[in-house]
Amino acid sequence: MPTVEDPPLPLGLRSTPAGVSRDVPVAPRTVIDDFLDEQQRLTAVETFSRWHEDRPPAQSKYYAALLPAAPPGPGEQYAFEVDLDRCSGCKACVTACHALNGLDDDETFRDVGLLIGGTAALPVIQHVTTACHHCLEPACATACPVDAYEKSPVTGIVKHLDDQCIGCQYCMLACPYDVPKYHAGKGIVRKCDLCSSRLAVGEAPACVQACPHEAIRIRVVNVADVIADSESRQFLPGAPDPQFTLPTTTYITNRVFPRNVIPADYHTPRREHAHWSLIVMLVLTQLSVGAFAVEFWLTSQWRTWWGGSTTPISSLGEVPAVTALLLGLLALGAATLHLGRPLLAYRAVIGLAHSWLSREIVAFGVFAMCAALYATAGAWGPWIAAEGPTAVLPWVGLAVVATGLAGVFCSVMIYDYTQRPFWNGLDTAIKFFGTTVTLGATTVLLALVVSRWLQVDATSSLLAAQGPRLCRVLAVATLIKLGWEQRILTALFDRTLSPKRRSAQLLVGALRPVLGWRIGLGVVGGVLLPWALLSMPAAAWSPVETGVLAACGLSSLAVVLGEFAERYLFFAAVVANRMPGGLST
Amino acid sequence: MSRTALPSQPVMPSWLHAADGPLTRELLLSPGDYGLGLLPNRARPDATTSMVCGYCATGCGLNVHLQDGVAVGLSPTTEYPVNLGMACPKGWEALEVLKAGDRATTPLLRNDRGRMEAVTWDAALTRMVGEFRRMKREHGPESVAFLSTGQIPTEEMALLGAVFKFGMGFVHCDSNTRQCMATTATAYKQSFGFDAPPYTYADFEESDALVFIGSNVCLAHPILWERVLRNRRRPEIVVIDPRRTETAMNATQHLAIAPKSDLVLFYGVARELIARNAIKPDFIAAHTTGFDEFAAFVEPYTVDVVVERSGLSAQQFHQFVDTIQHKQRVSFWWTMGVNQSYEGTRTAQAIINLALMTGNIGRPGTGANSITGQCNAMGSRSFGNITNLFGGRDFLKPEDRTEVASLLNIDAACIPTQNSLAYHEILEGILRGRIKGLWVIATNTAHSWINQSHAKDILSRLDFLVVQDMYHTTETAAMADLVLPAAGWGEKEGSIINAERRIGLLKKVVKAPGQSLADFWIFKAVAEYWGCGRMFDDWSSPEAVFRIVQRLSKGRPCDFSGIRGYKHIDDAGGVQWPYPSEQADDAQERRLFADGRFFHDDARARFIFEPPRAMPEPLTSKYPFVLLTGRGSAAQWHTQTRTAKSAVLRKLYPQSVYVEINPDDARQHAIAPHSLVTVASQRGELQARAFVTPTMQRGQLFIPMHYAETNQLTDSVFDPYSKQPSYKACAVRLSAVQ
Repeated sequence: MPTVEDPPLPLGLRSTPAGVSRDVPVAPRTVIDDFLDEQQRLTAVETFSRWHEDRPPAQSKYYAALLPAAPPGPGEQYAFEVDLDRCSGCKACVTACHALNGLDDDETFRDVGLLIGGTAALPVIQHVTTACHHCLEPACATACPVDAYEKSPVTGIVKHLDDQCIGCQYCMLACPYDVPKYHAGKGIVRKCDLCSSRLAVGEAPACVQACPHEAIRIRVVNVADVIADSESRQFLPGAPDPQFTLPTTTYITNRVFPRNVIPADYHTPRREHAHWSLIVMLVLTQLSVGAFAVEFWLTSQWRTWWGGSTTPISSLGEVPAVTALLLGLLALGAATLHLGRPLLAYRAVIGLAHSWLSREIVAFGVFAMCAALYATAGAWGPWIAAEGPTAVLPWVGLAVVATGLAGVFCSVMIYDYTQRPFWNGLDTAIKFFGTTVTLGATTVLLALVVSRWLQVDATSSLLAAQGPRLCRVLAVATLIKLGWEQRILTALFDRTLSPKRRSAQLLVGALRPVLGWRIGLGVVGGVLLPWALLSMPAAAWSPVETGVLAACGLSSLAVVLGEFAERYLFFAAVVANRMPGGLST
Repeated sequence: MSRTALPSQPVMPSWLHAADGPLTRELLLSPGDYGLGLLPNRARPDATTSMVCGYCATGCGLNVHLQDGVAVGLSPTTEYPVNLGMACPKGWEALEVLKAGDRATTPLLRNDRGRMEAVTWDAALTRMVGEFRRMKREHGPESVAFLSTGQIPTEEMALLGAVFKFGMGFVHCDSNTRQCMATTATAYKQSFGFDAPPYTYADFEESDALVFIGSNVCLAHPILWERVLRNRRRPEIVVIDPRRTETAMNATQHLAIAPKSDLVLFYGVARELIARNAIKPDFIAAHTTGFDEFAAFVEPYTVDVVVERSGLSAQQFHQFVDTIQHKQRVSFWWTMGVNQSYEGTRTAQAIINLALMTGNIGRPGTGANSITGQCNAMGSRSFGNITNLFGGRDFLKPEDRTEVASLLNIDAACIPTQNSLAYHEILEGILRGRIKGLWVIATNTAHSWINQSHAKDILSRLDFLVVQDMYHTTETAAMADLVLPAAGWGEKEGSIINAERRIGLLKKVVKAPGQSLADFWIFKAVAEYWGCGRMFDDWSSPEAVFRIVQRLSKGRPCDFSGIRGYKHIDDAGGVQWPYPSEQADDAQERRLFADGRFFHDDARARFIFEPPRAMPEPLTSKYPFVLLTGRGSAAQWHTQTRTAKSAVLRKLYPQSVYVEINPDDARQHAIAPHSLVTVASQRGELQARAFVTPTMQRGQLFIPMHYAETNQLTDSVFDPYSKQPSYKACAVRLSAVQ
């Protein structure tokens, strides 16, 4: 019987059975042990579970009305329809998609953004659920170098082939809606496939099943209607222009959105990821192509065709070409580091018909082979290096330059295709070809000076003539390039927060130190030091004085580092297109 | 390049083009059977079982997918009458948060160097009991208190309340339901005679007009909003909230009143209804008392007064009154905007008065209905043995004590003859040195209590602080002398009572990590170590305690003695009280007061009223803004001890504290969107990101409660009747961070 007074500490804590001898050196069982055992016993199945029988999906009684009555016919496809008046922002769709599709960790194929705006009298707050729009012209598929995307001709679903993906992530840059998501652990991209396997058996996609407010439906849409709808460009406030990919999702509402509606993350600065392997790849391929091009320009007998003087190919020696080759190969090596599954990079040949990345990979592949042949010509015997009209080497040289420049052009188009204003074709072309010229000139100059200084090559006759010329090329190209790059800063005066103004704000904000280095290195290495070299007497070039060597070395170093900084900014300051995002801090 | 050029599909070898393979198979789905539809291959269940979610008081049914008896996934239960196959993000991720790396897996005791050190259960309980015994011996039975929770099953609450008060002989305890439902419980008790939310969720679907007061139900209770959207009667939806919330966006009338002008508004509405003769005299005469006094009392609350205080237009006011007057079925729903106020009890009663005078109670689609916060707030209130003696009885009444003693087969002398102190009085007791030891169970005082710095200071003064929680990292556990590792939802059995009085089941479908134990077994062990274990021999398992609680409920308004055990609850899809053994029917929806009989002795409801008061902390030129607090998103729960453990949920809300600011206020204070700002009250300050949004009115700021900093600003003001903290409004200033 209980007492009000506290009893003494109990002996009853031990639950050892009476028959067990106390002096056996075994820890006696306590009630705690009993409780711990009980805690680990899972009994829900024995006690309760009864649903062992097979049944049709129970939830179908609710979602049946959210699916189309018939599959798409010719000229039609499946599409999401989102009733914004029913989207309350609970985000159950995001978690249900994650759970019912077995996604990993924090992987999600659906997002919920937020639009705000309106007036004091009538403020507007609107959540927007969004996933893949299964576009008529999916940019992901066009961009993919390995054809890892398929758009079903019957359902219109844009499906990603996980086993085909090489993890280049170009689709992520190309999709204006930020749909494909990289899975670092697997080295591939994955994305929403509209739960095609569920639709195939008459079940609703996970998000449709799980939306408590029936805001998401699957509709069969007419392709012609999707195109017609895109004409007005009014896909969703704050969303990218639908005319690029023709997204099929329909957002419906009875509300009239005020004109000032913006995404909740509109003012959140978004510093993009700087892809270091891509930075290295772009700068060094352009250096390599530039070095070959400059060398070709200096030595080419083609110049005699319009009355120039001939410089024998052999007179430059092998140092510039070998240097260019090695750096070019290093660049291509760096590029593969960017891939989630680099061993499958060879698959990139199959996207040639549509993918600029595929074209770039092929162009630089051929470039590397030609360059290797050209740079090692000495080893191939006199038949290749022979001079005169029958010579093979100049043709190889021409092929090196042509494929290299084609590769750089493909690089430009890769970024131009993403529709990001900071990466527009003209600006990108001037940057990439500018890098090609400046780094080409500085590399050849340094190679000549070093090899002459080391007395390994017979460049004496050349250097005095070509050294100053290369310095002038470097200085002029650098000035043009540096100037053009800073044009983006004029966007700071844009009256709206345009994508370019966001880029400019990032450049003078979080990225200001890098911008400072970029300009400083460019001016010192590309302008001041070449100018100092030009002011040296011709005699200083032959034999090479230490001052010339030092100036050339410093110049090259600064110019190369400056270009790395420029390319870092190229990635870090870009503003991506995307669907309206949620509130973020 | 032609944009229309899509990959053609020539037949290619798989080394060049692989349409299938191990990566593809990872995301393949296959029939899940058991009515689940397609599921990921690797999570195909071999059985399923349904249980109730353990977050909020909506009380959704979740279908747990099992492999060899262990949960591998879940999906909402289609057949459960609450949620009809839906869940919010917290429910979907409920199993995920059990796997967190910071689960408490062994008792942790603070050693001489101040470090927490793993110890055995024996050492932990010996120390805990030793400390509490010493305190009781030296300072008496009022020297140790507990603060518990609305998050554990009724059986555990009942066992704790019985062990602590009847077995260990202590007096003072409270629960975090003080922070969410105390106001409504008090209001119902005074007005109806019992803490009895009268509604059933079907009322959402059957109303002609739904009035939401201080309730952003879209975010806080998405599944209840699901029920609103299933209403086919084209209802009028009135939202009374200073902020333009998601719910306000969906309203047909949004009354963006000035903060804390709700009481004036409702008195004005009552006056206008009386003036229009839009009341139900027959119902009032037959089933209520105090109406005449009430009618006289509201006389001064004219339209002009309401307009002046609330900032509404006369037209908005009249449209609202028209709605109540002309709609057949009007239901009133409120949440924390009412409850967490210095005059919340009277505000809730002002709403109840409107329902009573218009006869909007006891009929489908009507009611004065509080939407509760925590999953088992009602279990805590009715069977926690905290503020009330078991079953809503009174510690001060000898006949109640005798009844409980005989039902439990214990000596009536074990039952305290005084009431427990309320939460803030317990903290005050610590501050005054009268309470030396505190046992905190499944709540996070150091984060959630109002005027947080002060609360932390108070906790630091304790001689011995025991924290019993799933995680050893909560703000309160970090201050503890002893941490007891608790098993969580999904790792234990029991029942909980949701906001519509539906008793639902929790089941054990996951093995608890390490040495952690269900709170039930911890309480049993404490009883054993205290030496009163024999007193609870009958309390041998959660289901045995369920039967004891049923016994305690018999004859009370919350009688559910007719339930035939856990299996019955499971088969029925939850059972709403009242479910007495003598008149048990199998209706799935049940509402109170259909007969107009309330729980007071005279069976009449009371009109209760009191003049409104000004905000306790007036706005000044130094602190010119009203700070509102509340829920941030559906993916966050309270102090985030659980929801922050899901990687997916973490993606669904801002990771650090932010403050919502009106655009004009932002301009005036030179605050750029997304810049850092300082918000300061007399009690503390924080830095937050500015979210500039027209959904805020001028002069008001909003900060979500989930961030640890928020309660550094709030002011320790309490409703005098419910003792609930007034979280919703205090005076702050705002400045840009240079």
